[in-house]
Amino acid sequence: MSPAEIKTPPLAGAEDDASQRAREAYFTASQYQLIWARFRRNTSAMIAGIILIGLILTGIFAPFLSPHDPTIKGRDKDYTNGAPQLPKFCDDNGCSWRPFIYGVKRERSIKTNFRWVTTIDTEDRRYVQMFVRDWDYSIGPVKSNLHLFGVDKGFVHLFGTDDTGKDIFSRTLHAIYTSLAVGALGVMISFVMALMIGGIAGYFGGWIDGVIQMVTDAIRTIPIIPLFMAIAAFIPQEWSSEMRFFFISIIIGFINWPTLARRVRTHLLVERNQEYVLAAQLQGAGAGHIIRRHLLPSFTSYIIVDLVISFPYIVLSETALSFIGLGLKDPVNSLGVMLQNTTSADVLLNYQWYFIPVLFFIALVMAFVYVGDGLRDAADPYAGVKK
Amino acid sequence: MLHFARFAVIRAAMALFTLLLVSLIVFTLMELVPGTCAERYLAFKNTQGSGISIADIEAEERRLGLDRPFLIRWGSWVGNVFVHGDFGDSCILRLNINDLLGDKFAISAAICFAALLFAYLIAIPVGIIAASSKSVLLNGSLRFVSYLGLAMPNFLLALMIMLVSTVLWGDSLTGLFSPEYRDAPWSVAKFLDFLSRAWLPVFILGWSATAFALQTVRALMLDENGKLYVTAARARGLYGRRLLWRYPARHALGPIINSLGFDLNRIFNELPIVAVILTLTEAGALLLESLARSNDQQLAGAIIFMLTATIVSLNFLTDLALALIDPRVRKSVMGR
Repeated sequence: MSPAEIKTPPLAGAEDDASQRAREAYFTASQYQLIWARFRRNTSAMIAGIILIGLILTGIFAPFLSPHDPTIKGRDKDYTNGAPQLPKFCDDNGCSWRPFIYGVKRERSIKTNFRWVTTIDTEDRRYVQMFVRDWDYSIGPVKSNLHLFGVDKGFVHLFGTDDTGKDIFSRTLHAIYTSLAVGALGVMISFVMALMIGGIAGYFGGWIDGVIQMVTDAIRTIPIIPLFMAIAAFIPQEWSSEMRFFFISIIIGFINWPTLARRVRTHLLVERNQEYVLAAQLQGAGAGHIIRRHLLPSFTSYIIVDLVISFPYIVLSETALSFIGLGLKDPVNSLGVMLQNTTSADVLLNYQWYFIPVLFFIALVMAFVYVGDGLRDAADPYAGVKK
Repeated sequence: MLHFARFAVIRAAMALFTLLLVSLIVFTLMELVPGTCAERYLAFKNTQGSGISIADIEAEERRLGLDRPFLIRWGSWVGNVFVHGDFGDSCILRLNINDLLGDKFAISAAICFAALLFAYLIAIPVGIIAASSKSVLLNGSLRFVSYLGLAMPNFLLALMIMLVSTVLWGDSLTGLFSPEYRDAPWSVAKFLDFLSRAWLPVFILGWSATAFALQTVRALMLDENGKLYVTAARARGLYGRRLLWRYPARHALGPIINSLGFDLNRIFNELPIVAVILTLTEAGALLLESLARSNDQQLAGAIIFMLTATIVSLNFLTDLALALIDPRVRKSVMGR
């Protein structure tokens, strides 16, 4: 039975075949089918969901989609701080079916006052090619050197280059991957901690609950980013970028647990006293059985929603930390790393394309928030009743 | 009145206890920084040309009391903070932290509270209007703005505003004071200059909080608007603004007061980063400086503790205010 058929039950009485089936579908639908059916009706959440899936795929397949290596290895030393190059079809020399960009020349002579000057050479066309072979990468177990697009000679920079000549387009795609990875790792860690601490508080209740709540409340009053900063400042400078990456994810996950733990506790406290738990107990079910078959399924959907909602906060914490230089460092690409040193007047006045990645991140976080909100509404069985 | 006093005392004790816990967390963090104060003092002496030995470090540790157990050192730190308001000396700058912070913390707090005020001045009326309006466009765009408050955090907004203002006007609008007033003592002219520049940080710091408060106010009002007592009031012929202010708005006020503390937390959260972007010279920037560049754990700990203490006291005050304003809470507190 496909979830598309699930609709709110038609009134009893006029029982033709179709409405009979619709009623049947509604009453026998599983919880996830019901949530999906409600979610589908929320247009903005659906659009956000499609954007989100697109961004996640972009992040995962970032090396395939980027024409150049995002690290210093793939730099274009003849085109530093270069403006974005937009492929075009026509110019003064006529049109071509294959889009092209212009090549650049870098020269230093008496004419340019002995400074390096980059000029665009409109005679030098570089044609955009699909599926070119370039630098090696691996996505999971798959090793390859195939890329979605490239140019026949030299470099192509859709979003321009930074001060060392690294391609901002490639860096942006890899930064999406980093943010998603930090978010996923952070959410996992805070989820495990929240489940344990919130679970203990909610299951035992009483004074244990009281003490745990007091500590969580105390942690929640400390402004979180200054706390991150204080902890991140301990990271030794000589750590490798991978070590930093894991450590940052771990501390972000470690500090983010109180909100989630509180939700788990509330769920447990409420569900523990529900009648279906009592019914199961009266039928002689053991504690393990009740927790596994009744309590956990009753709130997994809520927990998933909470995880989706807390995701953007973790992504933003990482961005903030990296931005001030306490988070990730250069060979790893993340939005925060890319925005470092952009507050100088030189960048603000002359190289505005440094800020293009910001748009992607606003889209990423917005998509997460809309999807999370849509999921929350869809998972709430009473949401539809009120209206 | 006696009941209220008892409530206030219990609540104050709870706030103090929270502060103690926070101080323990902050102090532990300070201790985790590699190297002690004694080593830093002597490292400085070392750069001056005199050789140092392990015995010197140990003597210095004894002089500073660093050889005592952890809990006793925490006790004396907390005691000094609570009794004398003294955070001790910064190891790196070797100055008293209170002198170092001076009016900087007051300026930070003033900016943040102004941002909080700004957030609610906008959020309350707009939220109430949105909740009672059926316009899909208004509600949809409000939701968009609220989410944007999360997706475009204060420091990104600050960056974007700098970008736009630099491109359009060639001025990045940064700094808290004009150059001529930067080190001048406080005067009317300096204060006016401060006001003319402080509006931008206030707006930027208030931005996320405004977006969240809008959502809170709207959701609360929607909840209250659907309740039967509103329908009953409408049936008796009340309508429009009179109805809104008399019934649902008053009921929604309690949770709004309760959310003040969280919003202040949200504002403090990004204060250091915004301060650095906008080159404000106040405590937030000092915190970042002490953490990122000089590893000055005493100063950083003091600032984090002061930020948290401000939030805890605000929470205490809002709880008291709630007990006075809301008859339901008042009854449960005062027993009548």
